[in-house]
Amino acid sequence: MMPASARAGVTRGQTRSGRATSLRSPRAKSRGLRLGERLIEGFIVLCGWSSILCMAAIFLFLVREAAPVLTHLDWHEFFTSTRWIPAPAKGNPAHYGALALMVGTLTTTLVAMVVAVPSGLAAAVYLSEFATRRVRETFKVIIELLAAVPSVVWGFLGLMVVGPVVSELTGAPLGTNLLTGGLVLGLMSAPVIVSISEDALRAVPDSYREAALALGASKWDLVKRVLFPAARNGLLAACLLGLGRAVGETMAVLLATGHANQVPHSLVDPVRTLTAAIAAELGEAPRGSEHYRALFLLGVVLLVFTFIINVTADLVIKGIRRKGEST
Amino acid sequence: MGLVRAIIPMVLVLAAGCRAERGVPNHTLSIKGSDTLVQVATGWAEHYAGKPGRVPVNASGGGSGVGIAGLIDGTVDIATSSREIRPRERAAVLEHRGQAVQEHFIGSDALAIFVHPSNPIDALSLSQLGEIWSEGGTLTDWSQLDASMRGRFVLIGRQNSSGTYDYFREVVCGPGADGKGREFRGGVSELSGSSEVIEKIAGAPLALGYSGMGYRTPRVKWLAIAPKDGSPAVLPSAEGARSGHYPLARRLFLYTVGEPTPASRAFLEWVLSDEGQEIVAREGYVPAR
Repeated sequence: MMPASARAGVTRGQTRSGRATSLRSPRAKSRGLRLGERLIEGFIVLCGWSSILCMAAIFLFLVREAAPVLTHLDWHEFFTSTRWIPAPAKGNPAHYGALALMVGTLTTTLVAMVVAVPSGLAAAVYLSEFATRRVRETFKVIIELLAAVPSVVWGFLGLMVVGPVVSELTGAPLGTNLLTGGLVLGLMSAPVIVSISEDALRAVPDSYREAALALGASKWDLVKRVLFPAARNGLLAACLLGLGRAVGETMAVLLATGHANQVPHSLVDPVRTLTAAIAAELGEAPRGSEHYRALFLLGVVLLVFTFIINVTADLVIKGIRRKGEST
Repeated sequence: MGLVRAIIPMVLVLAAGCRAERGVPNHTLSIKGSDTLVQVATGWAEHYAGKPGRVPVNASGGGSGVGIAGLIDGTVDIATSSREIRPRERAAVLEHRGQAVQEHFIGSDALAIFVHPSNPIDALSLSQLGEIWSEGGTLTDWSQLDASMRGRFVLIGRQNSSGTYDYFREVVCGPGADGKGREFRGGVSELSGSSEVIEKIAGAPLALGYSGMGYRTPRVKWLAIAPKDGSPAVLPSAEGARSGHYPLARRLFLYTVGEPTPASRAFLEWVLSDEGQEIVAREGYVPAR
């Protein structure tokens, strides 16, 4: 950085010190510019690649920490058993059956999405198409503020407010359960979904709206037939980011799901998620122990989950695009 | 509750830091481990500090396993534990630190079985508890114990890093028909703090949970426990814990590695003095002597 700016300074200095503009050396200036440009370009390329490098580094780190257990782990048990017993009773072997944890993560996320996607998209449609500018601006600020609420606060809310309400309404024996956890996660992801989908809807050119209205479309037709198809990539991205927040969320689910290692039989059974298990147990697992490795393996599983979700969504978007192009 | 208990040690660290700057020994004794003992440990830290020749003490919880893991890593000077150290942990200390672990008995704790105040049941036997809590146990519904009740047990326990979890499993689940230790059944809500267990039970009429005797509040009810079917049930009490009449009592320990340094020896001696033991008693535990 330094030499480039210094040289640029020298060039400028030379130009200023008496030479006529027509006589200044174009080569000197362009060389300085070229170097600066190259540095900046290099920096930008590095930034671009850094995301891939980070991703690879994280994956390698997780796999490296989990590696020693990969060879002798009972994989069948890991994927099909609900017995997660890392600290067994005297004389018993440890068991690492993660089925209930995976089901816990998937079910809470599903509940969260059932709550967050329809309400988030509806709110986005309202803000972008129906609300006045003033209302929209106010709401957007509040919604973005909501997206920034720390997850432990959401967890508290789940524990103290949502839990009691859920157990009151459903007769659930315990306020902290799958439904409560899912609702809290839904509340957490909704602001992300609203904010990004609203941007996506606003990005649809007004000419589309005018054309639709001129053809006699109702507001509902406009939203359903014109805006949603036009903004689908953005809307899907919004839902994915919301989903990502729900899958990876730890603190809130630790507090609100009841932390019980079981496959839920009903919506109001307490569950335990992958993230909660890692957070609760990693501090106690001695570094390098089998338990420690198994927890990193849970991390790998979590990463693979999000990877699958993202790739699927990517393929869906590409599919929609291709279909859109062919028609 | 957990948050409050997490903040206290932080304040103590800050306080200890300030003191160290004023020229008193700048080494800090770090005590970590059992959540059951965290209130005792912070109480000790509070009362021990501030006299000449005493090092500041920094106490925190996390679970007995966490404290012992810290002892193995060398990040903790004294581990508090509500269970005896396991043989493999003992071996790990020797392997990583090159010295043997030393055990210091400092008092005992009676675990209590808590239920919602509206629960009509007043007493259970150890074997009934075993059938309720163990994997494959025969008791799953309150109606099996009391005809007037309806609904499955809502089991509330501690997370698997806690010494309470270990101890309770050992005493209550015990060995099964094959002689091996039974594990907890699935679906127990595993909470990270002793007070959290009490709070949860206070809000759930069908709940059944275990926690330290010292954590009882008026919002929950504890049960008398019969050591054997047919024998008289005993309510939790300090006296019962010390005499061994109450079946769910356990011993509490501090663990150090090798010969204690002068600083930690001074602290350990103080812990067993009247002043240190009074703090143990004040938290609802039974002093060592």
